[in-house]
Amino acid sequence: MTFIFISLGLWYGLFNSPPDYQQGETVRIMYVHVPAAWMAMMVYLSMTIMSIFALVWRHPLADILSKCSAPIGASFTLIALVTGSIWGKPTWGTWWVWDARLTSVFILFLIYMGHITLVRSFEDEYKGARAGAILTLIGAFNLPIIKFSVDWWNTLHQPASVIKLDGPAIHIDMMIPLILMALGFLFFYFSFLLINVQTELNNRKLKKLFIQSFSKKN
Amino acid sequence: MKKFYRLILRDIHLVIKGSSDAGAALLFYLLAIIMFPLSSGTESTLLISIAGGAIWVAALFSSLLSLDRLFRSDFEDGSLEQLVLSGISLETIVISKCFAHWLTNGLPIVILSPILALIIGLDFSYWWILCLTLLLGTPSLTLIGATPAALSCAIGKGGVLTALIILPLMLPVLILGSGAITAEISGLGGFGHIYALAAILPLSLLAVPFLASKALRLGWE
Repeated sequence: MTFIFISLGLWYGLFNSPPDYQQGETVRIMYVHVPAAWMAMMVYLSMTIMSIFALVWRHPLADILSKCSAPIGASFTLIALVTGSIWGKPTWGTWWVWDARLTSVFILFLIYMGHITLVRSFEDEYKGARAGAILTLIGAFNLPIIKFSVDWWNTLHQPASVIKLDGPAIHIDMMIPLILMALGFLFFYFSFLLINVQTELNNRKLKKLFIQSFSKKN
Repeated sequence: MKKFYRLILRDIHLVIKGSSDAGAALLFYLLAIIMFPLSSGTESTLLISIAGGAIWVAALFSSLLSLDRLFRSDFEDGSLEQLVLSGISLETIVISKCFAHWLTNGLPIVILSPILALIIGLDFSYWWILCLTLLLGTPSLTLIGATPAALSCAIGKGGVLTALIILPLMLPVLILGSGAITAEISGLGGFGHIYALAAILPLSLLAVPFLASKALRLGWE
């Protein structure tokens, strides 16, 4: 699914959509940049929801899901930052500005990295996952700041043009590849999340088996 | 309520007796501010433009340093456990600890800052906005740092890792605080930033006691 959507989206985005009348061909960076940025926030949102599940109802899988989402979310954030920087050079004339949206996404990246380090620093992975869930909830205040930063502070980054109350302000020919890429990234997240969770569970099982075999010997 | 006062008094006593690093953190605040004129030259025009930011950075690092041991010493010698066993809820303990930390770290910073602002060349007419931002910002710094500090008890080691986790969370406070001063100096009016800064305080006050006590309980599991 991931493969189908991303390849379809790339084909549409690169060959079958019109260049922008102001930006020319560089607009095609959008088809990677925008879905990656959406996913960066989506992953954090899902991590927040999972963390609430983990802390309130102590669902055993929720904190594993939250823990395994963090590296994927961090990669999406990094992709969004890097592609945004590459896109910014020809259109804004600069690689980086300390604009509200850029800064808040950068903070999101730092929070992801802090989360990963914190979870890894526990010897007991059950505790590590719970600690990560607690940290996720404190970092969640950053999400609304990112979403509305372009509306609250009037700086270089353009305001939202797709997810708006009065419908998207973007032409349908650009909308199709954008949606395809977004779906592709979404399925990418799901598939990698499943792989990560599977690995995590297998690791835990292996540890148990190891301890069992050890105690049988003695 | 009586217990709450007792807890705060106990923590302040500990600070006065010198068994916590609050005094050292305050001294660090002074030193960090002096760094700025020494490292970036004594030209007054440059200093004026960075003065607000310099004071905010120093305040942030000072609270970061002292936060590392906010719960740890009590956690390690078992007195935190005794406090919980005595029937006080852990949330109350967290709030009182944060309040005591602010009284011994944040409040002195707020009081000292107008004098220090003079030293590094901030115009004296802006002292009120500096004090206002610090007054609103330092409690938020304490509260935001409390949960990672509690998590560091659960890990059993602190230091760089705690700082790594706390710093990104504190950045918005720093941006808003120093942004308010810069905006006021440039004539835009700093109240836009100050309102946002004031919004962080009740939000963190609402969320932090529960999250920090969750983190402390995780350490006892």
